[in-house]
Amino acid sequence: MMPLSQGPRLGACSGHRKCNTTSSHFPLTSSTSFHTATVFSSVASSIQVTEEPDTLFQKVSIIVKGHDRAVLDSYELFATMAAKELSITISKVYEPPRDVERLTLLKSVHIFKKHRVQYEMRTHYRCIELSHLTGCTAQVYLEYIQRNLPEGVAMEVTKTAIEKVPDHILEPTWKDHPIDDKPSQ
Amino acid sequence: MAVSLGSTGSVRLLSALARSGSLCSSPGVRGLHVTAVCCKNRAARTQVGKGDKPLTYEQALPPHYIGHRKGWLSQHTGNLKGEEGAAERTVEDTFIRRFMFGTFHGCLANEIVIKRRGNVLVVCALLLQKHSPQKFYFLIGYSESLLSYFYKCPVKLEIQTLQDKVVYKYI
Repeated sequence: MMPLSQGPRLGACSGHRKCNTTSSHFPLTSSTSFHTATVFSSVASSIQVTEEPDTLFQKVSIIVKGHDRAVLDSYELFATMAAKELSITISKVYEPPRDVERLTLLKSVHIFKKHRVQYEMRTHYRCIELSHLTGCTAQVYLEYIQRNLPEGVAMEVTKTAIEKVPDHILEPTWKDHPIDDKPSQ
Repeated sequence: MAVSLGSTGSVRLLSALARSGSLCSSPGVRGLHVTAVCCKNRAARTQVGKGDKPLTYEQALPPHYIGHRKGWLSQHTGNLKGEEGAAERTVEDTFIRRFMFGTFHGCLANEIVIKRRGNVLVVCALLLQKHSPQKFYFLIGYSESLLSYFYKCPVKLEIQTLQDKVVYKYI
């Protein structure tokens, strides 16, 4: 399970460009309106071809947490649309019940024990479960989803992988080494 | 000011007596309603004035409307359940707000919105058109580079300029 949340981290940032648009009707006066916007652009990674077999995932469960339910609604719509475009089978999309963390603190700095103030922090969840996908598909889909994660939203991904049964436990051991049963006295 | 008659318990008793007294109209007992200092909430609420103080939408709504009629000014994942780092984000936010308030002194139209997406810190501000765009470009570049060196992460400023502050109501 890999938690993904925001915070300053040392590392190279992906290349970003800033586009400035200045619209000035009278170029000589000081009151001109302008606004700056940020554009996130990334370098496309090259396609790698390897001989080893791809990992298979039986279930990939994505849980998104946020304070705002409307943001999670729109993110769920975006994620399900992206999965449909990549023809990934979505097994379940549901909303786990929200968690509310309440604090009851003293209202005043010094005395007045009877007067308190209450704060609460609401965490809403949304769970998207995808089934039967390959490692490459999961990697591409998760990278796309994570790059477009809105601010204030955290994601947890749980992957359940399918592995081939090891050879030494394919056949039961009592077939190769028959045990002589001694009658108990 | 604080209650001069003593504790609030005795005041409530007095007002209860006064209410019962008024029903049976006995003379000599008068109701006195006093509140202790802390009964009313005053956080982030502008007090009612004469009608000449302009307020923006952000200032006019009290904090219990956050999530219902107001949005969040600072968006990060520190306060979600199971996530860490809330205190560090809050300290960073406070510093960024003071920094922006000082750098663009008198030019801020509204509160600053801080968003964190991945590694990037996005600071969104509404500015008044008090200076020429060249001066604003310099200040934007200066604050971006200074903040990114300070916090070791890419910091981007998203600026929109206005003629005047948008007034929601007058108090």
